[in-house]
Amino acid sequence: MADKKTPGSTGEGNEGRSAFSRRDFLKAGAVLAASQALTLGSRNAYAASDAVRIGVLNPSTGTYAELGRNQTRGAEMAAAEVNAHGGVLGRKLELIVTDTGSKTGLAVSKAHQLVKQHGVHFMQGTVSSAVSEAIEQASREMGVLFVDSGGHATPVTGTHCSWSTFRVCTTTYMLAAGIAETLMNKYGKRWYFLTPNYAFGLTEQAAFERILKAHGGTVLGSALAPLGTTDFSSYLIQAQAAKPDCLIILQAGDDLVHALTQVNQFGLQKKFGVAGGMMELEVLQALPAAARVGDWSFEWWWNQPNVPEVKPFVEHYRQRNGGKYPTARSWFGYVATHAIAQAANEAKSLDSVKVSRAMAGMTLPASVGLSPAKLQFRADDHQLMAGIFAGEVKSGGQYPDLFNVLKYEPGASITQSAAEKGCHMTYPS
Amino acid sequence: MSATQSMNQSSKPASGAEPNANPYRKLIAPTFIWLALLTVPIWFSWLGGYNLLATRALTLGLAAMGLNLLLGTSGALSFGQAAFFGLGGYAAGETLMHLAPSTPIAIVMGILVGGLAAAILGPIAVRLRGIYFSMITIAFGQAFYFIVVNWNSFTGGEDGLLGFNRQPIDLGNFALKLDSVQYYYLVLLCFAVVAGLIALLLRSPLGHAFIAVRENERRLEFLGVGARNLLWIAFILSGMIGGLAGALYALLNNFISPAALHWTLSGDFVMMCVLGGMRSFWGPLLGATVYVLAENFLSSYTNNWMSALGVMFILIVLFFPKGLLGMLRTRVKS
Repeated sequence: MADKKTPGSTGEGNEGRSAFSRRDFLKAGAVLAASQALTLGSRNAYAASDAVRIGVLNPSTGTYAELGRNQTRGAEMAAAEVNAHGGVLGRKLELIVTDTGSKTGLAVSKAHQLVKQHGVHFMQGTVSSAVSEAIEQASREMGVLFVDSGGHATPVTGTHCSWSTFRVCTTTYMLAAGIAETLMNKYGKRWYFLTPNYAFGLTEQAAFERILKAHGGTVLGSALAPLGTTDFSSYLIQAQAAKPDCLIILQAGDDLVHALTQVNQFGLQKKFGVAGGMMELEVLQALPAAARVGDWSFEWWWNQPNVPEVKPFVEHYRQRNGGKYPTARSWFGYVATHAIAQAANEAKSLDSVKVSRAMAGMTLPASVGLSPAKLQFRADDHQLMAGIFAGEVKSGGQYPDLFNVLKYEPGASITQSAAEKGCHMTYPS
Repeated sequence: MSATQSMNQSSKPASGAEPNANPYRKLIAPTFIWLALLTVPIWFSWLGGYNLLATRALTLGLAAMGLNLLLGTSGALSFGQAAFFGLGGYAAGETLMHLAPSTPIAIVMGILVGGLAAAILGPIAVRLRGIYFSMITIAFGQAFYFIVVNWNSFTGGEDGLLGFNRQPIDLGNFALKLDSVQYYYLVLLCFAVVAGLIALLLRSPLGHAFIAVRENERRLEFLGVGARNLLWIAFILSGMIGGLAGALYALLNNFISPAALHWTLSGDFVMMCVLGGMRSFWGPLLGATVYVLAENFLSSYTNNWMSALGVMFILIVLFFPKGLLGMLRTRVKS
C-alpha cells in the first residue's frame, strides 16, 4: 500500500465497496440543489422574457475560432439595429450565443440545448461545413429554421437541402466560378491544384476543373493535403515540377496561412501565378507582408466605393469592435440575423414553416445586402445569391487595404441551378 | 496480499469491510442510481437539461465503462478506446446506408466491428506493458483515424458520414418510433444489459483474473495463468462495448465524423474514468456525466471551460486518486 496515492497503482486498501449512507443522500441532494440553482436560474431568465430568440452556433474555440467570433460580432450588430427599429413583431430580439468548438457532436447537442432549454425560435451560425450539415439535419428534425452563415459545402443547399435551412455564404462552385475566367485570361490554361482533402476542397476543385476544361484548359495534377497540414513543402515541390501556368490553392483558414507562407519561402509566386478560391481578410491579416500574393475570390469586401450603404456599416462596425474592420464573416452573421428578423416580420409569425416560406424568394434591402447587386434568397434551394469580389492582393498594402477588387460577379451569373445541385425542396404539409 | 484484498473490494459483497452492515444497505445505492436513470426524461428537463444531453452522457459513459475494463479492472492504460468507438459508429452508419435499414442490426454491427478490430489488434497490444501499451493503442486509433479521413468515397472523409437515420424498431404489429425519449430508453436498455454483464463478469473467476493481472501479473504467470490472453479478452470486451457505444452515439446524432476516432477522444474517455473513479463500478458513468455537463454548461459561460475541467482533473489526480466516487466514500468513512 506504499503507493496508495498514485492513480492506477495497485491496491486501494481495506476500504470496501461502501453502502450508500444517509450522508451520501444528503450530498446527492446538495449537488442536485446546486445544479438546480445554476441551470434553473438561467432557464427562468430566458423563459420569463418575452423576446424573440435566435440561437447562434459559432465556434469561439478551435481552428475556426476567429471566423466564428467575427460572425457573432456581425450578428450582434444586426440584432442591435433590429431592436433600434422596433424589434421583431414588436418584441425584442435576443441572441443566445454558444460555442460549438467546430465539433459536430457537441454542436448537435448545443442545437438541442438552444431549442429545448433556451426556447430559441430560430438558429444561425456555423463555420465548418461538417457542422453545418449536421445542424441542418437537426433543424429539420426539430422543425426550427436554421440559417447557415458560414459553411460552404454545396450539399447544404444541394442534395441535402431542407425547407428549414437557408444559406448566406456562397457555395464552393460559386467561389470557383467567380474567379476562374479571370485566371485563365491572366495566367493561362495549364493549372495545378493544391487541395485540402475534404468536401469543401474537393468540390471546389471539381468546379474549377469543370470550368477549365469547358474552356479547353488542362489540369496538370493535384496534391491532396489533409486538413490541418502545416508543412506543405513536399506538395509545393510537386507543384513546381509540374511547371503550371497557375497554382490553384484551395486551402482555408490556418492551412491557407501556412501554404502561402511556404509558397513565399519557395519564391513560387515569381515563377507562375498563385491563386485560389476563397480568401478572407482574417487570413491576409495573419500573413507576413511578403507572403500576401495572388488572385482570389472574396465573398464580401469592406471597400465598395459605389455602394453608399457600405461606408456607414463599416463605421458603425468599427465603433462597436474597437476599430476592427468588418470581414466577409462579419457580414455573413449580420445578414443572417437581419434576414431572420425581416422574414419573421413579413410572415407576421414566429412559426418556422411560415417564416421559411417568407424567406424563400425574399430580397434583402441594400442596407443589409451591402453589395453592388440586389441579393435574394433563391426559393428553389434557399441559397442567397451573393456575388463574388474577384481581384488581386495589393502588394505592399497596409491593413485593411490589402486587396484590389477587379471584378464583381453577381451570384446569379455564377451559380448552378437547384436541379443541377440535386435539390428538391419540399415543405411539411 | 494486496491482490486478494482488492479482489474482495471490487467483487465480493462489502460485508467483510463492514461487519455490522445491514445486508440491504448495499442495495440502496444501485436502486437509487437505477431509479434516477429510469426517470431522467422527467426530472432532467426540470433541472434544465434535455434528453439528448442525457443520452449523450449515457453513451459516453458506456464507452468509458468499457475502457475501464482495461484501465481500472485490468490496469492497462489504453488510449485507443475512441478507435473502437468510432469504428462502431461508422459501422452503424454504413449498415443503415448500405446493408439494412434496421436500427438493431446497425447496433449489432457496431458491436461486431468494434470487437473484431480489438480481437485483431489485441494480440499485438497485449505483448506490451505500461507506457508502450498506451503508445501502441494511440497508434491503432490514429491508423483508423487516417484511414477514415482519407477514404473519402466510403466514409465521407473529413466531413463525416451523413445521410442515415435511425429507423423505427419493428415490434411485430407496430413500429416503435425512436424519438428522443424512446431513444434514451433504448440506450438505457443497452447500458443496463452491459452494466449487468460487467457486474456479473466482475464477480466471476474471469473478472477476478482481470484484477489479478492488474495486481500482480508476474505472480499470475507463476501460477500458470497466461496474463496476455486475459488482457486480450479484456481488450476485446472493451472494444465491443466501445463499438456499441459508438453505434449508439452515431444513431443519436444521425451523424458520425472522424473526430469520433481521434486520440483526443480516447484521452477524454480516460479522463472520464479517472474523474469519476476508475476503481468504482459507477465511476466512469459519473465521470462522463460530469464531463458532458461541463462541456455543455460551462462552455456557455466561458471559452475556457476546458481549463476549469483541467484544474479539477489535476486536483483529483493529486488529492483523490480514486476519483469523485472514491472521494465521496472516503469522506463518509472518516
